[in-house]
Amino acid sequence: MAGVANTWGYGAMTNSMNDIRHSKLVFMLGSNAAEAHPVAMQHILYAKEVNNAPLIVVDPRFTKLAAKATDYVRIRPGTDTAFVMGLVNEIVTNGWHDKDFIRKRVAGFPEMCEIAKHYTPEVVEDITGIPASEVKRIAKLLATHRPGTVVWCMGATQHSIGSSNTRALCILQLVLGNMGVSGGGTNIFRGHDNVQGATDMCVLSHSLPAYYGIKDGSWKHWCRVWDVDYEWMKSRFHSKEYMNKKGFTLARWYQGVIQEDKISQYTPIKAVVFWGCASNSQSQYHKLKKALDKLDLVVIIDPFPTMTAAACEKDNVYLLPSSSQYETEGSVTSSSRQIQWRFKVVDPVHDSRDDYWIMGQMVKRFGFHDKFYKNIKKVPDDITRELCKGSLTIGYNGALPERIKKHTLHWETFDVDSLQAKGGPCDGEYYGLPWPCWTETHPGTPILYDISKPVAKGGLPFRARFGTEHTYWNGRKENLLAAPGVYNPGSQVKGGYPEFKDIVPGTNWKTDLSQKTIKVAISRGMAPFGNARARCVCWNFPDQVPVHREPLHSPRPDLIAKYPTYPDKKEQYRVYTRFKSEQKPELVKNFPYVLITGRMVEHMGGGAETRSNKYLAELAPKMYAEISTRLANNLGIRDGDMMWIESPEQGKVKVMARVTDRVDDKTIFMPFHFGGMFMGQDLSGNYPKGHEPYCIGEPANICTNYGYDIVTQIQGTKEGLCQVKKA
Amino acid sequence: MASRKITKAGGSEGRGVATTSKFTINPRVARRSFMKIAAATAALAGMSLGPKVVHELNAQEKKEAYPGSKMVRTVCTHCAVGCGIKAQVQNGLWVRQEVASDHPVSRGGHCCKGAGAIDMVTSEKRLTSPMKRVNGKWQKISWEQALDEVCGKLLDIRKKDGPDAVHWNGSAKVSNEMAYLQRKLAAFWGTNNIDHQARI
Repeated sequence: MAGVANTWGYGAMTNSMNDIRHSKLVFMLGSNAAEAHPVAMQHILYAKEVNNAPLIVVDPRFTKLAAKATDYVRIRPGTDTAFVMGLVNEIVTNGWHDKDFIRKRVAGFPEMCEIAKHYTPEVVEDITGIPASEVKRIAKLLATHRPGTVVWCMGATQHSIGSSNTRALCILQLVLGNMGVSGGGTNIFRGHDNVQGATDMCVLSHSLPAYYGIKDGSWKHWCRVWDVDYEWMKSRFHSKEYMNKKGFTLARWYQGVIQEDKISQYTPIKAVVFWGCASNSQSQYHKLKKALDKLDLVVIIDPFPTMTAAACEKDNVYLLPSSSQYETEGSVTSSSRQIQWRFKVVDPVHDSRDDYWIMGQMVKRFGFHDKFYKNIKKVPDDITRELCKGSLTIGYNGALPERIKKHTLHWETFDVDSLQAKGGPCDGEYYGLPWPCWTETHPGTPILYDISKPVAKGGLPFRARFGTEHTYWNGRKENLLAAPGVYNPGSQVKGGYPEFKDIVPGTNWKTDLSQKTIKVAISRGMAPFGNARARCVCWNFPDQVPVHREPLHSPRPDLIAKYPTYPDKKEQYRVYTRFKSEQKPELVKNFPYVLITGRMVEHMGGGAETRSNKYLAELAPKMYAEISTRLANNLGIRDGDMMWIESPEQGKVKVMARVTDRVDDKTIFMPFHFGGMFMGQDLSGNYPKGHEPYCIGEPANICTNYGYDIVTQIQGTKEGLCQVKKA
Repeated sequence: MASRKITKAGGSEGRGVATTSKFTINPRVARRSFMKIAAATAALAGMSLGPKVVHELNAQEKKEAYPGSKMVRTVCTHCAVGCGIKAQVQNGLWVRQEVASDHPVSRGGHCCKGAGAIDMVTSEKRLTSPMKRVNGKWQKISWEQALDEVCGKLLDIRKKDGPDAVHWNGSAKVSNEMAYLQRKLAAFWGTNNIDHQARI
């Protein structure tokens, strides 16, 4: 998401699931929507069947989605940037790029082309394994079917160059002029049901809610919203330095305990709280397990015990049974930025309690209840109101609880093609008030950066977020605001303009809590955040233009010298993170196969919920690994045999072989939903009796390798190496 | 093996239902309601159940499957497509679910996870009370004790080692309001050591 936000302003899906119905081409990379987002398939298949749109699926594995594709492209894991930059190069070389769109709305195009020209079809073939002729053919398909949409998931992001992969895909859409139009866009299908909402609320170690960051101004903004004194807030921290310092991430927090990599905070981690979060979805799980046994305290707040409860073998663990989300209520934001109200179905069952109650009890014991709940009397509606008040950056301010409820209660009035209500109480509004929803009467923004509509009716230009001018490495200076003639209908300025500020002195559109600035901008037909160009060059990233870098654990040691990874990062989210020192060309000799992981339709995340669901457990009870026919035959492994998969970090799992040519001869695939086994050992006795899931299996993440994205520290689970032996 | 499990589940659930409901209801009615859903979903999944769990419909049930029930609109908890679910609730119990054919995104579509959403609530694997591990054995404790001990230990660690000695892993599976409170809690606690699944 960082890559996307740094291209044009917001890190979110730009269009919607439904809008894919208008696509003339669907390009899906590192997504297996048929299993991970099955109900979105109806819109994708509509485009394929009704619009005759090519459905291009790029994946190392012939997935269930690939089975529905018109064009399947098998790619070597970890080489997406090379392929996509190759497509960009082929499009530009042939003059198929959208010259008018680029001239008016894109920055850094010539500089980007300078880098992209390295990726000729032949070079791409060498890196990715995709034949040069296929690169040319796919580029031509993209050029001749517009508007096309680009879809990706964790297959694109969970790499050491994940943030380059996402930017390369954004650049592809910019070059094709597919942004800000129905049928186009970057439709990033997000995983968990409320991962977009939880990201927007920034349950993240580098930002306060709504992407305000953790700088002084960010803290002051939220202290104003919370109505607490900034100095008091500062006093809560170890020191001011730590208030502005990014914290540990979900991917690496356990290093704060075991400290195999040097940490940069004054104390090790002594306690961890898992509040609706699995631990077996984190890579190198056997190391995380070490941390669990070393901690003073592990708190699990969840409807089910989760694998964490079984993996903890000391007396340091507490289970607090929260109710499921059907036993409470609140708003949730879908991948399409639509906010729905999840109404409560029944009261909490057994002696479980809903999350709000547990939070209230904890906060009371922590001694800041009055300050914490100052503006919150009615739960959850007053929380919605408070978060709306502060989340101006992403325009949650117009999505008040009564509006969200009205949409959900009248979902039948919304049109499937436009997502706009036709008559009824929400007439003219878009379903779920897709953010930004700027005012209490704004209809929501169904497609980001669409200049064909007035801002008040859901249109927007690209966001002015990166200054007004930039000088590139070659000395060229460029105005970063949109060209004259690029504006939303009704705009008082007929071209680019910077963000709104000083309407209320000393504030800008993001910090003016009276929202006057936003209202003034809208009344002038303009976007509060300005009107700028999207960036092909991100000067604040380690690679200003995406370039291929070999995975840390590469099956192609011959390419490491030419495409080396980054230097090590001494402090990345409070921990030393190895890049160059981890890239060892000789590793492939003992670990000759590439390991990738992914989803199954029957399960979700760490599987605590779905493996405790009798219907789903019955449908998919067993952990397995996919291995190709040729490799299985060479290793003497038959379908259904048990085999050991081993990682370079001494992780190993004993799993059943599923012999299939979905994977190629060098690749092993494992689903990541299983738990309850550990390196051959059955941990079911560690669960509270009667609460062990219906089915258990080895967590694939015991074998996922070391390796993290250079910007976001997302774990590189789609590009590791492994060894396979018959058990 | 599966049918054995299902039968077992059916057998114990009546008890579970009677203890979990906040309403005063006839446990026999609750048990019957569960049997109907169990039979229906088992039939959907292509599994067979013994004849014990099927009963003759009475006159009222022939007209209306769940007399006095209400239909609640809610949203599936399994992925970010945001499919609609219609949950039928009778006497405070979730007895049945229906696809939302009029939902603008899902339009009646459901994957197997969404179709089995009801078992998030009815699963016999749900934790029934707070627990702690003592000498390697799980022990049930009261909420009061659990919260006092957990919060007491957290405060001790904060005092001795500082606010950054605690790491909070929040969730992409809770509401926006709850996610917001999780981030706010870390702020008030005095740390940026908070993260969630969006990172991975």
